[in-house]
Amino acid sequence: MTTSPLLVPAALQPPLINLIGVTKTLKGQDQPRTILAGVDLTVHPGDSVAILGRSGSGKSTLLSLIGLFDRPDGGQYLLGDRDITKIPERKAAALRSAEFGFVFQRFFLLKHLTAAQNVAMALVNGQGWLPRRKRKAKVLAALERVGIGHLAKHKPPRLSGGEQQRVAIARALVREPRILLADEPTGALDTDTGNLVVDVLRQATEQGCGLVLVTHDHDHAAKMGRVLHLSDGVLNPVPQRVVV
Amino acid sequence: MIRLSGRLRASLIIGGQGIRARKLRTFLSMVSLFLGVLAVVVVQAGAEIANRAMLADIELSQGKDGTRQMYLSPEGRTVPVALEVLEGRTDSVAMTSARAIIGEPGVKPINEGGGPIDQSGGGYGPNMTCDQSGCYPINDGNAGAPEGQAVELQLIGLTGDIRQFRPFRPSQGQWLDFGGEPSLAPRLVLNEEAAKAFSQYHVPAEMRVDGATANPTPQILGVVDDGGYQPAAYVRSDELLNWLPVTSMSGGNSGPGLQVLMSPAAIEVEHILRARLTAAGTPEDRIHVQTVETLERMSTELAIMRWIFLGMAALVLLIGVAGILNVGLATVGERIEEFALRRAVGTPRLLLAGIVLAETLLTGLLTAALAIGAGVVGLKLALTMFGSRFPSLEGVAFPWQAGVAGVVAGLVAGILGGLIPALRAARIPIATVMRA
Repeated sequence: MTTSPLLVPAALQPPLINLIGVTKTLKGQDQPRTILAGVDLTVHPGDSVAILGRSGSGKSTLLSLIGLFDRPDGGQYLLGDRDITKIPERKAAALRSAEFGFVFQRFFLLKHLTAAQNVAMALVNGQGWLPRRKRKAKVLAALERVGIGHLAKHKPPRLSGGEQQRVAIARALVREPRILLADEPTGALDTDTGNLVVDVLRQATEQGCGLVLVTHDHDHAAKMGRVLHLSDGVLNPVPQRVVV
Repeated sequence: MIRLSGRLRASLIIGGQGIRARKLRTFLSMVSLFLGVLAVVVVQAGAEIANRAMLADIELSQGKDGTRQMYLSPEGRTVPVALEVLEGRTDSVAMTSARAIIGEPGVKPINEGGGPIDQSGGGYGPNMTCDQSGCYPINDGNAGAPEGQAVELQLIGLTGDIRQFRPFRPSQGQWLDFGGEPSLAPRLVLNEEAAKAFSQYHVPAEMRVDGATANPTPQILGVVDDGGYQPAAYVRSDELLNWLPVTSMSGGNSGPGLQVLMSPAAIEVEHILRARLTAAGTPEDRIHVQTVETLERMSTELAIMRWIFLGMAALVLLIGVAGILNVGLATVGERIEEFALRRAVGTPRLLLAGIVLAETLLTGLLTAALAIGAGVVGLKLALTMFGSRFPSLEGVAFPWQAGVAGVVAGLVAGILGGLIPALRAARIPIATVMRA
């Protein structure tokens, strides 16, 4: 018998991800630049974490390490109880498909595909195969979940910014990931639409999904369960009252 | 297996979406590739048709490769000695040739000179003989004779079954039986050209053979396809010799003399024949023996020609490949974000490469289908326009090998044109989406 993640406080559940002293140094043409200098981060099921920080502080780099786009130079990265610090790319691709959902500032929707086809992109990715009917049902369910099921056949140029971002969120949710990573998802949206999008992301955590939101917007950060500030390559907690 | 199948399906679905999204580019890629694939299809189709036209009947007229052939001029005692040595042997066959006219007595044959029946002008004209002062018609009794129902043909006497060396195709009836006693009414097997004459003209069955003691009445047993264009009939030598003295086969000027066909294993027969002929006074240098290699030689020549033309077609194809490559590289450059995003949602590098390859392969296959279609239509047009002028083109169908060559050319072009863009797509860093 399993216990629903929603009935047990998040902090008491085993963590979804656990970063311990993670470091990352970028080696460009100039001097190597240390972006992350020992980041510790734990995300439990249902957790929502906002990460604030100045531009260039390493927020997106941290998110790309969590999302297995890149690998840390040092430290340890645990996914559940599995050490994935130096996971090979082939296995990382499978984990990105199964465990993570990504939402970006730019929506990255393919203009020649309909909203439904854009969402289906996450299902037709070579990680297992779903029959057409099941695929269609999952895609529609994901679109309904973000409130735009009626726009399934519309192509991105005919959708508003908020609708496009919701299609992107549906794409991130369609595989029912355990962790949702959002990199400034409201950056290209007006305030109202941005609030709507953050609400949609928050709703996902109510079903046990962990959320890591990188943002500049303190109002949106305040809606998260925890707020962390990244500066000098280290994450520090920010009290809610300070955020507000 | 299921995993592989899923990836294959995924690459085909996404590749198809890519093609639909860039119809004009796909069309232009197909245009650049079309001529190359068409060139391959045309060369392969031409080579196959030429092969069929030139090689199909070569064994019927020239003999199977490996057959030993001895040519003897019909002088002195050559013919009787050869017939005596080869009588009753199964590994060697002697062929004598004589001119014969079958039909109404005392009339000029419809194909004087033994030419094809349908040839305009009624044959080759009277038989000629040449000396130092010039060439003259032979007085064969036809001069001044009225035209009538008679067919002139080449009568070939055989000491055994020739089909082991020349695999004549049976058309009707049966072949000669060399086992029993010879018949006084010579039994004939006609070739198809002679059979055509006998089906067109109702000729009385009297046979006039040059040098024969009388005109026998032949029996026709069957018809074979011997690959020849002139009317001919095959008869047992011993049945022919009932009416034609062996001396009249010697020293004459009718036909090519005596030809002996021997299996490669019949070395002993060749030695005996040489010895007997030399003893009978035939000079050693008049005995010519050669091994038939016609099929192999012609096949080699045709293959060389085919490869030369395929090489030229490949050059044209290469230009098309460069076109696809160019478009592919440009397209990958434009789709960097798409590929990075696909990697972000879990698409493996291999599948990304597969998607790009699937697009170029589908483009190549579509082009191949067009080129094959054009080839089929072109061949039909060519047959309609030139078929009547070239009898060897009769019944020619589009060779399946040309279709296969077109598909292979399309696939190869797709792989060559898509490989580098595919590798580039697979190497696009996933963090591109984060930096965008």
